[in-house]
Parts: sequence; C-alpha cells; structure tokens
Amino acid sequence: MTIMKRLKNVSLMAILVFFASVASVKAQDNAEGEQIFKNNCSTCHAVTDEVVVGPGLKGISQRRPIEWIVTWVHNPQAVIASGDKYAVDLYNKYNKAQMTAYPGYSAAQITSVIAYIDAQVTAVVAPVAGAVVAGAAPAAGSSNGGMMQYVMIALLGVMVLVLVALLSIVSSLTKLSTITPDSIEGQKIPLLQRIAENGKKLTANSAFKTGAALLITLLIGKATLDSAYGIGIHQGYAPEQPIQFSHKLHAGQYEINCTYCHTGVYKGKGANIPSANICMNCHNAIKRESPEIQKIYRSLEKDEPIQWVRVHNLPDLAYFNHAQHTNVGGLECTNCHGEIAKMEVVQQRSSLTMGWCIDCHRKTEVNAKGNAYYDKLVELHNSETKEPLKVQNIGGLECSKCHY
Amino acid sequence: MFTNQTKSLLLSGVIALSITSCADKHNNQGTEFAPNMYHSVGYEPLSQSEGDTNHVNPYGMNMRLPVKGTVPRRYYGQQAKTDSIDGDLLEMDLVSRNIKAGDMTSSENLLTNPFEPTETNLEAGKLQYERYCQHCHGEAGKGDGLVAKLYKGVPVYSSDALKNLNDGHIYHTITHGKGRMWPHGSQISSSDRWKIVLYVHQLQQAP
Repeated sequence: MTIMKRLKNVSLMAILVFFASVASVKAQDNAEGEQIFKNNCSTCHAVTDEVVVGPGLKGISQRRPIEWIVTWVHNPQAVIASGDKYAVDLYNKYNKAQMTAYPGYSAAQITSVIAYIDAQVTAVVAPVAGAVVAGAAPAAGSSNGGMMQYVMIALLGVMVLVLVALLSIVSSLTKLSTITPDSIEGQKIPLLQRIAENGKKLTANSAFKTGAALLITLLIGKATLDSAYGIGIHQGYAPEQPIQFSHKLHAGQYEINCTYCHTGVYKGKGANIPSANICMNCHNAIKRESPEIQKIYRSLEKDEPIQWVRVHNLPDLAYFNHAQHTNVGGLECTNCHGEIAKMEVVQQRSSLTMGWCIDCHRKTEVNAKGNAYYDKLVELHNSETKEPLKVQNIGGLECSKCHY
Repeated sequence: MFTNQTKSLLLSGVIALSITSCADKHNNQGTEFAPNMYHSVGYEPLSQSEGDTNHVNPYGMNMRLPVKGTVPRRYYGQQAKTDSIDGDLLEMDLVSRNIKAGDMTSSENLLTNPFEPTETNLEAGKLQYERYCQHCHGEAGKGDGLVAKLYKGVPVYSSDALKNLNDGHIYHTITHGKGRMWPHGSQISSSDRWKIVLYVHQLQQAP
C-alpha cells in the first residue's frame, strides 16, 4: 500500500514539475511581449474582450492574420487609407479614434505581444479567485458603519431612559397636586381645565412670577444679542446648486487639484467658477448618462451659462485678493474654506468677519522666503526687534489696506 | 388607554418636536445689514448685476467672451525684445496662436521651449503638473492617475511611441488636446504650459 502511495506522489510531483517548466518557458517567451503590452497597449486595450478605448484583444490571433496585425500596428492610418474593409469598419465602430502608430516594433516583437495576449486567456481564471478574496474586504470595511449603528442604538437607549425618568418625575408631581389623576374624579376633569387650575395656582405665587419674568427677559435678551451678532454673517450657508456637484467626490476621492477648476486662485482676485468646457474635459467620457451631467450638456447646447449660487459673499466694502493669500502668502485653501474635500455640499465654514481677518493678520508670519519684495522690510524689521515679521507689521491692520 | 395623563404627554411631545425641528437653514443666507454696501455697484466678473441693470449682455452677465482672433496684449513691441525670456515667450505665443488645432506637424516643427530646464523651472513645472495633469496622468506620468481609471486610455509618457516627442508636440497636446484628451489651453497660461513641457520631458526619460 505504502509503496503504491509513494508511487502516486512521485508521479504527481513529476506531472506538476512538467507543467511548471512548460509554464516558465512560456513565461520567458512572453516576458518581452508583456512589457511592451503593459507600456504601450494596455492604456487602450484589455487582454480580455472588454472594450477600454479600443477593442479587447482576446482571440486576436484567430481574428486577424499576423501579417495584417503587423502592418496595422506599424501604421494604422495607412491601412485605413488603403480601404481595407476590416480596418475601415473598426475605425468607424470606435468613433473614428485613431490608434497611435508604432513603426519601431519588429514583427517578432509584435508576435511576442500576441503570444502574451493568448497566454492570458488561460491565466484569466486565476484572478477570479483573487477577486473573491478582494470582495471580502469591503464587508470588513462596512463594519465601521455597523459600529456607528450600535452607537446610535445605545444613544437611543439612553434617551429612552431619560424619557422614563422624566415621566416618573411628571407622574410623581401630578400625584402631589391636590387632585390625584388616577382617581375616578381626577380622570373625569378635562385636561385643559386641570392645566388652567394649576396655572392659576402658580401665578398666585410671587416667587414664581419674578422667576418667570427674569427667565423670559434673559431669553429674549440672548435671542436679540445672538441675532444682532448674526447680521451679515453667513457662516453655515450651504445653498442648493443648480447641479448637484460634489466636492467630496472630485476634490476628495479623485484628488483633483482646486486650481484645475478654480483657475484664478493663484493668479487673481477671484478664484473663478469653472466654465462648462472644464467640466467637459472629463465628462465627455465619464458618467455621460447621469441626469446631473446632462444638465452640463444642455447648457452647452443652448450656450446658456450654468447659474451657480455664490457661497462666500464677502461684502463689497472689503477688498480681498486670492492670489495675495495663496500665491504670495502660501496659504492652503482649507485655511479659510475648511475641509472642502469632505463636503458633499459646500458650506461657508469661516465667519468672514473683520475680527476673523484681523486675528489671522496678527498671528501669521509673512512668507518672505525667496521673495525679494520683502527683503528690505525684513531687514528693517529685524534691526528693531527680535519678533518675526508678521502681517500686522507691514500694514495688515491698516483700515485702508482692505477698505477703500 | 388614552387617559388624560397620556394625552397631555402626547400633546407636549408634539409641541416639543414642532419647535425643535426647525426649517431648512442651509439655503438661508441670514440677514444682511445695509445690502447696498455688500453688493458691488461696479461690474464684478462672475456675478450678475443687481436689479438687471446690465441689459447689453445675455443673462445679465458681466463677463463677455473676447472677440474672436484677439490676443492678450502685454508688452508687445519694444519692451519685449529687451527681456529675453518674455521676448521668446511672446514670440512662441504668437507663433502658436497661428497654428490650427489639427496641425500637429507645424507645432512640432515651429515651436521650441522658451524656458531652459533649470532647477527652478523644473520645480515650477512639477508644481503645475501636479495641479493640472496628475489626477489623470499619474504622479510619474504612467497614465495611472485616479481619474484615469474612469476616463481610460491615458498613455504612459515613457512608452516607445511617446518617449521622444518634442517640445512643440507636448505644447500642442496641452493647448489643443490630442486623441481622447481635450484642450486645456483655456485653463493654463502659456508660460505654465511651457514649464509643464519641461517636466514632462523629465518623465518621458524615467524608466
């Protein structure tokens, strides 16, 4: 028995070794092809039949003769111009997108690329197993959301407990009043009458009267002061926009730089609201079917501007320049605008009051490094004091710096 | 079941809820004191003039497109010739403005970078690359930016077809677009575009 088992094992091993060696030989052949494919072709073509930009290349060696592929890769434009039916059909099918010509590759190199593509047909089975493992990861990630749910449930529990405690206080208070609410007579007296009776008793009490008057005065005073301070401050203003654009997605998830759309932020007074052609740089291809994106297409077709709602309204009586703060001062956008990359809808985070401006001008050191404009100012400042040069030292608190 | 006590509790609950669940505050800007000091009397770009005072422009807009074929005028003439960098830059600007969007060959033959690949210029080019290109073309120009995964077809700079492209070709691609890439000339100033070209040359040679 044991001998038989050993024999089995040995033969199994032999078969495995054989397959491995075949695979490694194949791999050597395809190594060059793989490198060429990954560097040049993979941006537009997949080894499967998935369409990336151009057609998927699975089974290309069966579809076209090798000579045709070689001439095509060397100069696709010439093949189309020659009137080759397959080439012309291909060109028309893929929106007349021209493939880049690669005249530098030898027929052998192109053959090795095709060999690599053919080898992938068998290898495709393996990544499927990997995909299952990868699929498990998001489940673990969502446990974070589950945790949040437990916290919410716990909070709800606490709130219920508080409610119960309050109820017991209310019931014990009502029990203390002259008419016991649980008695039959108590149930018969209507609610409003009971409230009125209790109210009369309370108003008769002078201590309660003064207390209530004081409380009301304080509350009214606080409300008045709050609303007076709130005049002209739009902090927390997050208007609904004509298109539901998400900064969280664009600036956060895809890390598109603020300047890409707000082109003026390092150059001028205003940061600029992007024109629709900037949206179209990506959305000519991405999410074309979304109703929100189609609003851009409609506005372009009609040559109608998208009327975005302005979020940050600095009063016209104060002058502010973006470039001075971002380009010269080197401040980050988040310094004043908050965590834009986490906002689904943009909200005004800073108060934009004069006190807020002045506070920063008092604290912030001048970004004088490598800027010859400040050289003499720094020299003069350093001759008088050891404190670093702050914005307030170069007129950051002068009225006419911003109001003129 | 519905005793007076429970009724009173329900009533107070409803009142408390209706008081606390206030109206949507996000669309409300709040009170403005003296609004005529807030809103500009002069025409500000990107805003519509208050009370539709601007009847000349469509939609009451304060901005208009420049007249077709006009070129921004800065130091054309005498002054430009004295400053070598600005002179070269302006010359290239004028040449490139006469090249049509589809005419890649002219750009390749006529345009050369007015900036030298000094350390400062390369650094400035890298900064502009990070701002305008990186999200698609990737940190090292391998076409693996975060947006490229959705947009697809973003090339590798160091690939055999692209690694030897010259100044004019890259400048033309940024300005007018090429293949799937759309024109970016309206977003990036010509001097920044030339600095990006310097940095892209560096990425083309990267392994």
